[in-house]
Amino acid sequence: MPGTTAVPPVRYPPVEGLRVEGRRRDRPPAGSSPVAGYLFVAFYVALLLCIGVAPAVYAIALALSTPGGVGFGHFVQTFNFFEFAPAFEHVFEFEGIWLASQTFFVVLLALLVHTLKRRVSSAFRFIFYLPGAMAGSASAIVWLFMFTPNTSPWAFILHGLGYQVLPNTVSPGNLPMIFAIMAFFTGAGGWIVIMYGALNNIPDELIEAAQIDGSSPLQTALRIKLPLIRKWVVYMLVLSFAAGSQLFVEPQILAVATNGEVPPQWSPNQLAYYLAFQQDNFNNAAAVSVDLLVIGLLVAVLLVWRGKLFSVD
Amino acid sequence: MLARRYVYVFIGLVILLVFVAFFGVPLLWLLLAPTKTDSQLAHESPFAFGSLTTFANTFHKVINYQGQLMLTWLKNSAIYSFGGTALALLAAIPAGYGLALTQFIGRRALLAITLVVMILPSTALVLPLFLEASEVHLVGSVWSVILPFAFFPFGVYLAYIYFSSTIPKDLLAAARIDGAGEWGVFRYVALPLARPIVGLVAFFAFVADWTNYYLPFVMTYTNTEYPVSIGLQILIGSAPIFSPGTPGSAASEIFRPDLAMATLIAILPIVIIFLFAQRTLVKGMLAGATKG
Amino acid sequence: MATVTYKDASRIYPRANSKAVNQLTLEIRDGEFIVLVGPSGCGKTTSLRMLAGLEPVDEGDIFIDDRSVVRLAPRERDIAMVFQNYALYPHMNVAQNLGFALKIAKLKKSEIKTRVAEAAKILDLEEYLDRKPGQLSGGQRQRVAMGRAIVRQPRVFLMDEPLSNLDAKLRVATRSEIAALQRRLGVTTVYVTHDQVEAMTMGDRVAVMKDGVLQQVDVPSVLYDSPVNAFVAGFIGSPAMNLIEGTIGPDGITIGSTVVPVPRGLQQAAGTGKVTVGLRPESVELTGTTAGIPAVVNLVEELGAEAYVYARLAHTVDDTRFAATPDFIVRVNPKSAPKSGSAIELHVKPDSMLLFDAESGARITGA
Ligand SMILES: Nc1ncnc2c1ncn2[C@@H]1O[C@H](COP(=O)(O)OP(=O)(O)OP(=O)(O)O)[C@@H](O)[C@H]1O
Ligand SMILES: [Mg+2]
Repeated sequence: MPGTTAVPPVRYPPVEGLRVEGRRRDRPPAGSSPVAGYLFVAFYVALLLCIGVAPAVYAIALALSTPGGVGFGHFVQTFNFFEFAPAFEHVFEFEGIWLASQTFFVVLLALLVHTLKRRVSSAFRFIFYLPGAMAGSASAIVWLFMFTPNTSPWAFILHGLGYQVLPNTVSPGNLPMIFAIMAFFTGAGGWIVIMYGALNNIPDELIEAAQIDGSSPLQTALRIKLPLIRKWVVYMLVLSFAAGSQLFVEPQILAVATNGEVPPQWSPNQLAYYLAFQQDNFNNAAAVSVDLLVIGLLVAVLLVWRGKLFSVD
Repeated sequence: MLARRYVYVFIGLVILLVFVAFFGVPLLWLLLAPTKTDSQLAHESPFAFGSLTTFANTFHKVINYQGQLMLTWLKNSAIYSFGGTALALLAAIPAGYGLALTQFIGRRALLAITLVVMILPSTALVLPLFLEASEVHLVGSVWSVILPFAFFPFGVYLAYIYFSSTIPKDLLAAARIDGAGEWGVFRYVALPLARPIVGLVAFFAFVADWTNYYLPFVMTYTNTEYPVSIGLQILIGSAPIFSPGTPGSAASEIFRPDLAMATLIAILPIVIIFLFAQRTLVKGMLAGATKG
Repeated sequence: MATVTYKDASRIYPRANSKAVNQLTLEIRDGEFIVLVGPSGCGKTTSLRMLAGLEPVDEGDIFIDDRSVVRLAPRERDIAMVFQNYALYPHMNVAQNLGFALKIAKLKKSEIKTRVAEAAKILDLEEYLDRKPGQLSGGQRQRVAMGRAIVRQPRVFLMDEPLSNLDAKLRVATRSEIAALQRRLGVTTVYVTHDQVEAMTMGDRVAVMKDGVLQQVDVPSVLYDSPVNAFVAGFIGSPAMNLIEGTIGPDGITIGSTVVPVPRGLQQAAGTGKVTVGLRPESVELTGTTAGIPAVVNLVEELGAEAYVYARLAHTVDDTRFAATPDFIVRVNPKSAPKSGSAIELHVKPDSMLLFDAESGARITGA
């Protein structure tokens, strides 16, 4: 899966025997001294500055420093690379396929699993979730085999599509689809678990009320359950979009495995890497990184700012 | 009416089974592949079982490949992941506590920034980090991997939510009245109650670190530094089936069953953690879906 | 509109070692308001959910009109239910909540609109039609839940403790509103509560359950005056009926160390030996012509229009022979209430005495 194992914010039931009074958090206790607060967050803030902020600032500085002073020269230059536009096109095509299918199937599977008895459903959820262990290069390797007609358990499908050898399968037109399958394979399970949890949080009474109101299981799923988990679906979409834009491992492994059949600048992140390490042009690499950073930041800020998912007090 | 119901149930079941196959078959295949020789793999049914002897041979071959390179990679992965996770905990638990239960200027801003960097995919910062690290000559050192791993804003947010929703502020007030200082309140009241969240943050941090590819890919240069996620790619690169023309004698050649075995070894720690942490994990994730 | 019949209906939860509802047999008449009442865990909710189709019927049968419903899904039973926590759909506004069932039933938009408007009018919800449940007070939510049931015009209303989330005052007011509404609509209603006052004030008939077994079902006055066993006697009425051990002898019954005469027929039916005597607080007076049971006042509870004396059986203040007997509760005129600590005499109104078998608790009735 590109990026990290994304999991939504957690809200816990209160520790047994303790009650949290009033609204979740109105105001931190008055008794604490402000200095203590700084000490508790100090290490994290140091990391935030060194690992989060400083590289971003440095990358921006690098990207903006041109021989003729501060300017957008590197942005313009990278923009005009012949690999630049295709890389973004590739990733957006990949995202389109991945997000659409992930959204549809995760919701569908979560709804289906939710109709099962708890124990049965937990077995299903575990099977769906287990491939998460293969995030990164492992899943790319396994799928490499899955896409190789003469080793694949899915050979009948591949042959049906007319593919005889790996290069047939990983033809350029197929790549977005292939990466979408890989990303779905490792990432969907976690989201199914989350959606299942969200569904479980719908009070039984509500589902029973719908039943009594004459609603069939299908209608209940579509009209009651789905609207009630909608914000989680949105959350999944946004987070996946952000993660997907950073696609790197899967095309990288495929580039190695196909001996260049898959170009090593297939995704923007690969392009940035290529600029930094093959061309030794850190300024250009920084420019592409900043492009990607801006996409990620825009999405993140939008979600934090507009979404009502997070409690910031 | 009744018949239609059964049709729905049937369709649902079929969909579920299709996806069980989708998610399960690659795992099953991965488990079976190392029991076969390369030619068996290419010619027999994908679900055929070879022999345990072959499995053992494959295992030994992978482990002993180029002076037990695999073990070096695993050791590196362990160093990076444990180091990163330990530091991430050290940063995240107090920070979550501080954000939730103490008051200081800039608290809300820090929280908002945390959320933003949490959603921002960590991959986006890798190249900038490399540029920075090469500026301060940290590239090639373990710290160039461990320190970025230590920065785990998701863990901070988890801890923040945990502390703010489970620990009543009156409890802390009581401890203060009983004479505990700020450190004492954290150490003797908050921390003992935080055990579940320590486990959860550790789990997510460790899995993210172990499977991370891009960061060590950029920060490390030699076989002795690579973690196993990159080791796998090295193996692919030296497998003639994928990279014809790669030099290497038959004995040291990597065949497909060897690749599958290496993959299996690489994911084993995570699978084990999944198996044991399933309860907690699901609970944590379920809790994730309450309210919100 | 419809009749409802439980016929030996039982429910055994998986891995439970007793029946949550044990061979319930109950006939509910068309248009009747019946209340299921009993202590916590006695199976009221389960009985109701069996009728709704939310719990399977493991043994026996349930009919709505003459048709067995045990094989029907809830949505095929044409019932409406008001849940304890209201179960309003949080993502729909009040109008959509009210109209959901009608929409599912594929009624015409205009028809839905008129019916929703009608229900909103009856329940005084017209101003709130655009609001989401989250923006309503508890009382308003309760009314929406009621409204969702009445727009359906179902054959049976089911209500499971629909008032338990309201504050005391609102509860009393809503109680009479629901009862009045039900009478106006004339829809057969099964109502569950653990509050016997609610049961007695609302129900046409009240069914008292205990440990999954129906004890008695009758109109409130009969339950009060003529309970079939000591459990029903003690459960119905507030404050509760005094239930005291006594011994029947040739001259009457010995309560404490005093012999109290018993009506002839009752005395004969009871034979001799230990029995449980049941006396309502209003069945005892502090003055009388013959010698009464001596007692000492522990506490006087003044309620304004009436007062209740809590007394322990004792000949003097220091007498502790009957310390194990629970306090005897007597209703008195507050103007003439004795002081706590004073010695009094309890005089039983002979005709109001109830006797129960000491072992089984079954009522002993005179010839
Ligand atoms: N889902 C269940 N699984 C197992 N046992 C159950 C379940 N629901 C209820 N019971 C048991 O069945 C019995 C009857 O429960 P029921 O909910 O009908 O009681 P009730 O009369 O409604 O009580 P209350 O007044 O507390 O609501 C109880 O002993 C209860 O523990
Ligand atoms: Mg109940």
